[in-house]
Amino acid sequence: MNAAWLPLTALATSLLVAATIFCLPEEARRLRSTINLLAAVFKIILVVLMFRRVADGHEDIFSFQVIGGVDFVLRTDALGVMFAGLSSLLWLCTTVYAIGYLEGSANRKRFFGFFSLCVASTIGIALADNLFTFLIFYEMLTLSTYPLVVHRGSEQALNAGRVYLRYTLSAGVVILLGAVLLYSLTGDQSFSSEEGLGDYVNDHRVLLILVFGLLVGGMAVKAAMVPLHGWLPRAMVAPAPVSALLHAVAVVKAGAFGILRVVYDLYGIELSVELGVISVLAVAASVTIIYGSLRAIAQQELKPLLAFSTVSQVSYIILGIGVFGPFGTVGALAHLLHQGLMKVTLFFCAGNYAEELGIHRIDEMDGAGKRMPLTSIAFTIGALGMIGLPPVAGFITKWYLGVGAIQADMYWVVAVLVLSTGLNAIYFLPIVHRLWFRLGPSHGKGHWPDEQRLGKRLETHSWLLMPMVVTAIISLMAGLFAGLPFSPLDWAARVANGEYLP
Amino acid sequence: MMSLLLALSLLWPLAIAGSVVWGAYRRPQAGRQAGHREGNGYFSLLWISAAWPALLLAYGGEAQWTMDIWMLGGEWELNSLSRPWLAFSALLWSLAAFHARGYFAADQAKAQDGDQDAQRRLLRLALFWPLTLLGNVLLIIAQDIASFYLGFALMTFAAYAFVVHNGTAEAQQGAKVYLIMAVVGEGLILGGFLWAAGEANTLMLQGVQESILTAEQGAWMAALLCLGLGVKAGVIGLHVWLPLAHPVAPAPASAVLSGVMIKAGLLGWISILPLGNEQVSGDLAQFGTIMLVAGLAAAFGAAGYGVFQRHPKAVLAYSSISQMGMMTALVAMGLVAPEVWPMLWPGLVLFAAHHALAKGTLFMGTSISEHLPRWPLPLVWALLALPGISLAGTIGAGLISKWSVKSPLHEIHYETLIKLLSWAAVGTAALVCVALWRQWQQRQKGGGHHCQWGAWLAGIVLALTTPLWLPLPAGSIEMPPMKEWLSLMWPLPVGILMTMVGWLVTRPLNAEPPPAGDAWWLYAGIVGAALVPIKHAANRCGQLKTASVVTAQHAEERIMGLLNRLLSGETWLRHHASGLMMVLAVLLAALLMWEGQQ
Repeated sequence: MNAAWLPLTALATSLLVAATIFCLPEEARRLRSTINLLAAVFKIILVVLMFRRVADGHEDIFSFQVIGGVDFVLRTDALGVMFAGLSSLLWLCTTVYAIGYLEGSANRKRFFGFFSLCVASTIGIALADNLFTFLIFYEMLTLSTYPLVVHRGSEQALNAGRVYLRYTLSAGVVILLGAVLLYSLTGDQSFSSEEGLGDYVNDHRVLLILVFGLLVGGMAVKAAMVPLHGWLPRAMVAPAPVSALLHAVAVVKAGAFGILRVVYDLYGIELSVELGVISVLAVAASVTIIYGSLRAIAQQELKPLLAFSTVSQVSYIILGIGVFGPFGTVGALAHLLHQGLMKVTLFFCAGNYAEELGIHRIDEMDGAGKRMPLTSIAFTIGALGMIGLPPVAGFITKWYLGVGAIQADMYWVVAVLVLSTGLNAIYFLPIVHRLWFRLGPSHGKGHWPDEQRLGKRLETHSWLLMPMVVTAIISLMAGLFAGLPFSPLDWAARVANGEYLP
Repeated sequence: MMSLLLALSLLWPLAIAGSVVWGAYRRPQAGRQAGHREGNGYFSLLWISAAWPALLLAYGGEAQWTMDIWMLGGEWELNSLSRPWLAFSALLWSLAAFHARGYFAADQAKAQDGDQDAQRRLLRLALFWPLTLLGNVLLIIAQDIASFYLGFALMTFAAYAFVVHNGTAEAQQGAKVYLIMAVVGEGLILGGFLWAAGEANTLMLQGVQESILTAEQGAWMAALLCLGLGVKAGVIGLHVWLPLAHPVAPAPASAVLSGVMIKAGLLGWISILPLGNEQVSGDLAQFGTIMLVAGLAAAFGAAGYGVFQRHPKAVLAYSSISQMGMMTALVAMGLVAPEVWPMLWPGLVLFAAHHALAKGTLFMGTSISEHLPRWPLPLVWALLALPGISLAGTIGAGLISKWSVKSPLHEIHYETLIKLLSWAAVGTAALVCVALWRQWQQRQKGGGHHCQWGAWLAGIVLALTTPLWLPLPAGSIEMPPMKEWLSLMWPLPVGILMTMVGWLVTRPLNAEPPPAGDAWWLYAGIVGAALVPIKHAANRCGQLKTASVVTAQHAEERIMGLLNRLLSGETWLRHHASGLMMVLAVLLAALLMWEGQQ
């Protein structure tokens, strides 16, 4: 039975919400929030349905022909549903957070409209079944994110937006070139085809490598791999929910997910290994991991630090692809989810500190644990997870990546992992130390930069607090009970089994 | 029943930590005053009971649990090794908690009078204490790598609060060294586990053993893991945090740090090394020899350096390094002479348990000499000395534990090692002497609390009677025969004699004592020096980047200039469009006419 409506409805939900929000007047705050939240919950239900159907072995396909030889296809498969699940879960959290965060500020209609559009594109990216469909949503994501990045409208924000567009649009052109080259060679190529591009390897080896370079090189911009990461730290001027979106839910993840699709579903892992592009990917990822961590150490402000941490962490996913073997794949896929959960928590925390206490710099965080205990606990969980300490989810990924690297005889990857653990500790532990062990304004030493008292009984506004607590708990549980069925690790193993065991 | 106890021994400390937080959250000020009336405060009876379920569990018998949903798959076990280990650990934790109640009584009173600083410090300690305990219990019963690593990390990082407790500059320094060494250790352990587990595709500590045994580079895996765990166990070279962290930590915290937490590294070694396996490869045996030498070097070096320390707790910390060195050497024997291991390990466990209790009691004793009760001084110092004398192997459990490790070595004729261990015991005796002497010099009267000396007295009794209560396999421990007693007892008088001679010789020199933490200052210097060129290079890179950005901007400007010139050309065209058209028309017409004439 083919439930073609399922992927279509999932996509349409967010698109419809976007359209509705743009039609509503700016003042209809309550209605807008209600629609947003209802749609987010509805989409989670849809994604859960998809999960169940995929787990039962169904594949739902929706397709129509655009022009001869080029089809628009949406398909639910294990990998796509995984990404859709991440984005819809975090969409709900981020929406709740954004409603609290933007309370009383201007241009909320524009914000939430583009926000929904952004998430709709993410769902499109997740469910796209060929390069053409993928590209449509990929570009849609680029364009719908721009208004969010420049939302504040300040000089700095506009500059950041300009840099963002320069990077992503030129990358889009590169990807388009790659896609056109590939279409001219192979015609429409479904991500679900078993044989991949193996038939063409004998005659067109160089062309295949070139196309791989174009596609992955273009996507590496969104995945913020060194040296194409320049836009990400700049985009830090955006409001906290947007940062969360950029770093955890949509943009950076879309890049990483695209690379996953290209390697596993378009080229096929055997072909990628044969072409030798996999090792290049592993080296590039390692360089990014180390470089990102080193830059993060040098940061004085919280959000740029988190941005460089993202640069470093997202490349764990790429590294997992680069490590040939089931363990590396499981690590890569699990980290797609784990990094999202942990990083979104950290950004919610950073946003809370900024909103409630006006903290932007790291040296202003002394003793914040007493004033904002829940936020600080969530931050600690996220930070420990980023370092890769058990029981937080980050440990699980690190474990699988390391074991995968050993089994692929890539011993140097373990050294990279250990080094990165150390570097992560160097920039996260001092912050945790400041939060809990230093004396600050809450102990009567100095005062907060800009204290607001948004919450009456809680430490800050409850809408800002709830999503952060939820994501922190999930990232803890994802590590502590990784053995549960339908945990991120379990689902990642399911996908990896599909890739390696035909 | 056992499962219930297990759940309780893990959840109980967690619940207590929760209740501490809840208490602080509900009644930040008023509750403490109410607590004052009940005589409770931060260190209530509930809080003291944190380790009791684990103690019961250890005496409940052997058991095994498998939990598939736990992290990478949980496998916990109480076997002949983890049972005694849990028993002495939980026992010392309970004693130290009891001691803490007395030790912090003065601080507690201050906190109740509204001293914010004292409130904060006590709350922090009261919160992290059960968490550290939880980590310790978990790592003892864990048989899978993830649980072990979780327990180890939790214990290590939670104990940071113990070291930093006082908040003084020394405490900050000690805590910093502790944390840096801990992170280094965690990194090494992670690398070692990944390597060994990846080679053998295993998730269990047992699998790591097999991997180290069979893999080609097994010795290197073992080295990584041993160094990583060795940070905790105070292996020579990585021991630097011990003498810096112990003097600044409060006495009950030092007791558990030096008594049981330091043993986590030792337990880790025993769990991951293929000790007593006859198929040990040449490389691995060689590694065992290196470990043996390192252990003996620590045993002697720490004694030689420690006797010059001023702070009694620093002296005791060096004594711990020395003792751990002996245990390192004994563990290494499992690789060097595998056949002796089945006879040796019960003795080693007894050695560890006795050292835990004795050293814990000695550390608690440092707080007794700072708050002397109104007893005759000779009695107090005799009591203070008892665990030390036992540690040197002259009486009680020390005598038996020395014998139980020496008699297996006798049987395989390792006479040299036995001699060296005896001489190391001389070092122990000397260290204990110096520690007691320093305590005498720094003694203070009054201010003690009955919990403080109650726990200490119980510790003395339990330390001296360790073999009686330790749940070791039956028949594995024997009393030494009478004729051997002299050969076990001689280190103590020799140690005392040597200390006195040394004191008489060095007194006229009146030299400054060497700094605690010895090699740390060397490491810090080296790293600091290494960072200078790196910083220069980073600056250079920054300049290079700026320069290239400027160049790129210039190039962009130039190109934009050219484009602009093209554009202005276009403007010129637009301006003169009509004229140009005319010219074109005339030209065309001329062309046509010229063609027509042809």
